[in-house]
Amino acid sequence: MNIVVCIKQVPDTESVIKIAGDGKSIDTGDIKWVMNPYDEFGVEEALRIVKDQGGEVTVVGAGPARVVEALRTALAMGADKAVHIQDDDLYGADPIAVAKMLAKAIEPLSPDVVFFGQRAVDDDSGVVSSAVAEYLGMPQLSVITKLEIADGKVKGTRPIEGQTVVLEASLPAVISAQKGLNEPRYASLPGIMKAKKKPLETKTPADLGAERSDFIEIATLNPPPDRAPGKTVEGETAQELAANLAKLLKEEAKVI
Amino acid sequence: MATKFVSQRNIRFLLYEVMQAQRLADWPRFSEYDQESFDMMLDTAHRLSSEVLFPALRELDLEPPRFEDGKVLVRPMVRQFLSQAGEGGWVGATFAYEQGGLQLPVMINTACNFMFCAANYSATAYLGLITGATRLILTFGSEELQETYVPAMLEGRWQGTMALTEPQAGSSLADVAVSAEPTDEGHYLISGQKIFISAGDHDGADNVVHLMLARIKGAPAGVKGISLFVVPKLRPEGGELVSNDLATAGLFHKMGYRGCPIVQLSMGENNDCRGWLVGEPHRGLACMFQMMNEARISVGKAACAVASTAYYASLQYSQERLQGRPLGAKDPAQPQVPLIRHADIKRMLLMQRAVVEGSLSLILQAAWYADLHSHGPEEGREEAFLLLDLLTPVVKSYPSEMGVIATSAAVQILGGYGYTDEFPVEQLYRDMRIHPIHEGTTGIQGMDLLGRKAKMHQGRALKLFVQEVGRDIAAAEGVEALAPQAQRLTVAMGLLRQATEAKMALAAEGELENFLSDATLYLELFGLVAIAWQWLKQGLAAASALEGEPSQAEQDFYNGKLATMRYFFAYELPKAHGLAQRLGEDDGLTVAVQAEHFAD
Repeated sequence: MNIVVCIKQVPDTESVIKIAGDGKSIDTGDIKWVMNPYDEFGVEEALRIVKDQGGEVTVVGAGPARVVEALRTALAMGADKAVHIQDDDLYGADPIAVAKMLAKAIEPLSPDVVFFGQRAVDDDSGVVSSAVAEYLGMPQLSVITKLEIADGKVKGTRPIEGQTVVLEASLPAVISAQKGLNEPRYASLPGIMKAKKKPLETKTPADLGAERSDFIEIATLNPPPDRAPGKTVEGETAQELAANLAKLLKEEAKVI
Repeated sequence: MATKFVSQRNIRFLLYEVMQAQRLADWPRFSEYDQESFDMMLDTAHRLSSEVLFPALRELDLEPPRFEDGKVLVRPMVRQFLSQAGEGGWVGATFAYEQGGLQLPVMINTACNFMFCAANYSATAYLGLITGATRLILTFGSEELQETYVPAMLEGRWQGTMALTEPQAGSSLADVAVSAEPTDEGHYLISGQKIFISAGDHDGADNVVHLMLARIKGAPAGVKGISLFVVPKLRPEGGELVSNDLATAGLFHKMGYRGCPIVQLSMGENNDCRGWLVGEPHRGLACMFQMMNEARISVGKAACAVASTAYYASLQYSQERLQGRPLGAKDPAQPQVPLIRHADIKRMLLMQRAVVEGSLSLILQAAWYADLHSHGPEEGREEAFLLLDLLTPVVKSYPSEMGVIATSAAVQILGGYGYTDEFPVEQLYRDMRIHPIHEGTTGIQGMDLLGRKAKMHQGRALKLFVQEVGRDIAAAEGVEALAPQAQRLTVAMGLLRQATEAKMALAAEGELENFLSDATLYLELFGLVAIAWQWLKQGLAAASALEGEPSQAEQDFYNGKLATMRYFFAYELPKAHGLAQRLGEDDGLTVAVQAEHFAD
């Protein structure tokens, strides 16, 4: 089984995010970068499939030089090799532009399965996996929490409002992983040492023969509003407190 | 609820900017490493800490081990963590490749383990004990013992322990009485009782391997008749594990650090408890001290880690809790301000930070000496060993003693809430209290420092320490922002020298009791000087970084470092004067006081 896992490097959710001077991007100066958590489910699933069925896992990521750190983390978890599409401007670009680059890099690898996280936790666009499926002419099983691969077919389960839907397609296919698919492993110390010696290929968009095609651009980024201060419910007796609370819930919070 | 327990930024500052840990990769032993791989290990350790260990901090306190039907039952997370630690390579990370390790520098491993301890000391203690026991078997054990025990221990499946204490022999190891009777079959028959054995029995591991001190029948009395044995709970026999006649007699209920059982063991009730000698007969204490010195540094690290978690809990609370108004503001209609706006709260935060970050710096300094001694350039090895040996009691005691005070300040900042179990600081205050006690009490450390370490090799270790500190004082004298602190440290070093001379004079006169009666105070003075030294080093790194053009967030970090350094020199180091005054007096007050004076 030849598996590709696409990885996006995103700010650690513990990092303090500040909007940059241009109002359209974030200030990346003091940010700690990590692998998108949903992508970890993809890496873990790929490693499990290869352990059972044999094969190879290639991780692919696009963006500035720092993206190599996220690729190395996947190699330390156990992936076999990595491809880095190096382009400083690709972070924050139109997802379609990113998808086109990724598709160009993935195509020559002839994968049976391509994993993505169901979305990246920084921009929440959730577009790239579908666009790559389109460019590669593959079916996509999205937001998957359970997966079976056998006899050239893939069967995936997606939870919907307490129900589940089971999807089936023939390989090759694109899968976008949702939380619950598995428990991603931690990189081991021996894994980290081995990762340094695993092949990591760097390609530029020109090497891939890919042209940037941006259809959208970010107009503005707005910080979340300051959290409104809490309100203390006033009242002398329990009845009075309850009545005032109910009033606030009804008239101000409008939840009852 | 608090979410932060360590500062990853601070750990990197200490490693790379203060200690220059990058240098380690230049030595042959660590040639496969570079800063990127160190960083990946630090990141992985932080994830394990925040995702596996920290969420179970309260669980292990609320549901301590139970003793049922002769079995010690612990929370399932213990087995899960030990298995993850085994798979992750954490048990033997610093061991040589041929021993199944990864040759990770002690310094990097210490920084990683510090995060584990801060997230959950009880859970990390199981891991530390396996590592220590495994190293002892690898260093002194026969090939057969190594093959039998080490693989399962490296995988985190078998627990290791250090079994020293007995009901009548705690700090006084000379009184160890567990006996070992030689047989013709290569093993000894062990009988007797051990108490207070940490992780001495539990269902989170498939077996327990005790590294136990015992006395071979007919051995001389005192410490020169003590030998070291491997005594497993289950012994491998004919391809399976069979009972080794080692029973758990009971479990103690502890004040804190409640997630790790401390048990009483009974060996040889049926005269079939087998032990295997490790190293030479009667040389057990020397072997055990290898594990013990390592354990003492680990205690300092753990104390510092618990104080770190309490510091961040109280810091977060002080930023969120609105209470009171600025002193000049008389209008009650004016909104209240966060606690952190009050000077006395900031004093308590600075104190905690000064203790935590000063101690961590000293611990990493000790780790640097450990790496230098074992794997550094030949010419620096002996000196590194002497410095490590000298500083070990300080590294153990300063964070332990001051950690109690620091966690108490964390409780104080939370006020009434801090005293309830709604917030984590009361647990951390209880968890901290073991550290001045285990692996040699503060009293023992004081006597070790003054009675042995300060004198050893005609005071050569102490001279080396004075040189090390002198170098950094000289560097700081040339930096405007640090000159006042350099001056204060010079004075404090003078106080330490005078105190040392006064005590050594008593020793020369043969006044042994008088010489050591205030050894704990001497240790405290030494600790203040050593931590002041580490703060000066941090000041040097911060001042130098501020000369570049760091971002606003980085400027805040470095200025916070300088502020905390100034706090230490203004509020903590002056205590040296009071200690030095007492240490210069030779009236032997506590020696002269009679037990009868306490009659009523």
